[in-house]
Amino acid sequence: MPDLEQQLSVLGNALEWPPTPDIHIPALRGGRLSLAAPWWGAPVSILPRWALAAAAAILVAATGLLAFPPSREAIANWVNVHTIFQQVPHLATPKPQPPGPLGERLGLGGRTTLASAERQIAWHIALPATLGRPDEVYLQPPTDAPAQGEVTLVYATRPGIPVAAQTGVSVLVTEARGTVDQNFFGKMMGPNTTLEAVTVAGHKGYWIAGPLNEFFFTDANGDGRSDTVRLAANTLILDFAGTIVRIEGNLTKAQAVEIATSLG
Amino acid sequence: MEGRPEDDSELFARAQRGDTAAYEEIVRRYQQLAFRTAYVITGSTAEAEDAAQEGFVKAFRALDRFRPGAPPRPWLLRIVANEARNRVRSTQRRLGLELRLAEGFRPGDAAPSPEAASVAAEDTARLLGLVNALGEEDRLVIATRYFLELSGEEAAAALGIPEGTVKSRLSRALTRLRARYEEAASA
Repeated sequence: MPDLEQQLSVLGNALEWPPTPDIHIPALRGGRLSLAAPWWGAPVSILPRWALAAAAAILVAATGLLAFPPSREAIANWVNVHTIFQQVPHLATPKPQPPGPLGERLGLGGRTTLASAERQIAWHIALPATLGRPDEVYLQPPTDAPAQGEVTLVYATRPGIPVAAQTGVSVLVTEARGTVDQNFFGKMMGPNTTLEAVTVAGHKGYWIAGPLNEFFFTDANGDGRSDTVRLAANTLILDFAGTIVRIEGNLTKAQAVEIATSLG
Repeated sequence: MEGRPEDDSELFARAQRGDTAAYEEIVRRYQQLAFRTAYVITGSTAEAEDAAQEGFVKAFRALDRFRPGAPPRPWLLRIVANEARNRVRSTQRRLGLELRLAEGFRPGDAAPSPEAASVAAEDTARLLGLVNALGEEDRLVIATRYFLELSGEEAAAALGIPEGTVKSRLSRALTRLRARYEEAASA
C-alpha cells in the first residue's frame, strides 16, 4: 500500500468542493460596519499616565457595580465587558422531552448504581450531602464521553427546589475529570444569562444565572469537549480538585452554593 | 505598488487603520479557505456560506485585537471555524460531511498505465469512502490537514484545540483509518 498520508494528499487534490460563494460585506462600503475601537479609545502605549489611572478607576468602579444584578447589563454595555456578558442573538428553545426512561430522554448514558459507577471509573464521585442519595445514577463510559467517563446524579424532587417541568427533575449533578475555561462557554450564553466567577469552599467556579445552551471544557486527555446543559435552568460549575462538577436546576445562587459546599 | 500583490501584513495593517478596500481584498483572498473550512465543520453549503460571511464580519470588528506581524490565517480561521461550530450547535444537529471525488478524476502522473490509473482511482475512491465513514473527530482532523492542507497551527485554530492535541488526534485517526483500509483491501 502506498503511504497512507501520501494517498490522503492525492485524495485532497481530487475532491469536489462546493463552489466558493463570492462573499460580500455590504456594510463595509456603506460605512455601517465599523472597527471596534478599544473601550479606552486608544492604544494603551500612547495614553498619558493620568488617563491610565482614570481608566483603572473606572474599571474598578464598574467591577464593583457589576456585583449588583439590576445594573449589570447596562454597565456591561457601557464598558463593553462582553467577555463576561456575552450574548447570542438566538438561543434554541428547549423542546419538550419525549416519554421514556430519564437517561434516554436526557442522553445521560447508561443507568447504573453509585457503587457500580464508582467501580467503573478511576476517580472519586463527589456527593452533595445536602441532597442525600441520588434517585438515579448514569454513567457515560469514556468511549462516548470525556476521558475517564462522565457521571450524572439525578435528584428527582427535593424540598424547596422546583421541579423542571420538562424533565420532572429538581437537580442534576454531572461530573467529569477535566478543566473549565469561562471563555469557552461564556460565548454560548443567551441574552438574559449572566456569568459570575465564584469560589466555593476554596474551589473556583462559575455561577450562570439563566439558560446556558452548551458547555465547553477540556477533558483529562487535554481534548476539547462540549456537552449540552440539560435543564435550561441555572448552573453552578465548579472545579472540584480536578473534577468538573456541574450543578443544574431551578436553584438560587445560595441554594447552589449550599449544595456545592456539601460536596464530599 | 501597482502590479505587485500586496502582502498580507500590509493588507492587515491598512485594514486595521480602517481601510475597507484592504479588508475587501483580505476577504477575496481568504474566502475559499474560510468557506471550505466552514463546510468541513458544518457539512452544509448554506451554513458554511453564512459562517464564512459572519466570520469575516466578526473578524473585521475584531481587527483591533489582531497583533501586527502575527500570521493572519490562523487568526481568521479561528474566528470562522468558531462561527461554524456555533451554527452546528445552535441548530443542534450534526451533518455528516460527504466529500466526493471531482468528476473525471485521474490519478495522473503517479500511474504508469491506464490499468494502473484505474486501480489507483478505485483505491482513492475507497479511501474517500473510509474517510467519510470515520467518526467526526477523526474526519475533521484528517480533512483539515490533508484536504484543506492547513499547517498544525492553522488546524489547531480551526479545530479549537491545542496544536499538540491536533498531532495526537491525527495520529489516532490515521491509525484507525489505516486499519480499516487494510481490512477493506484484504476483504
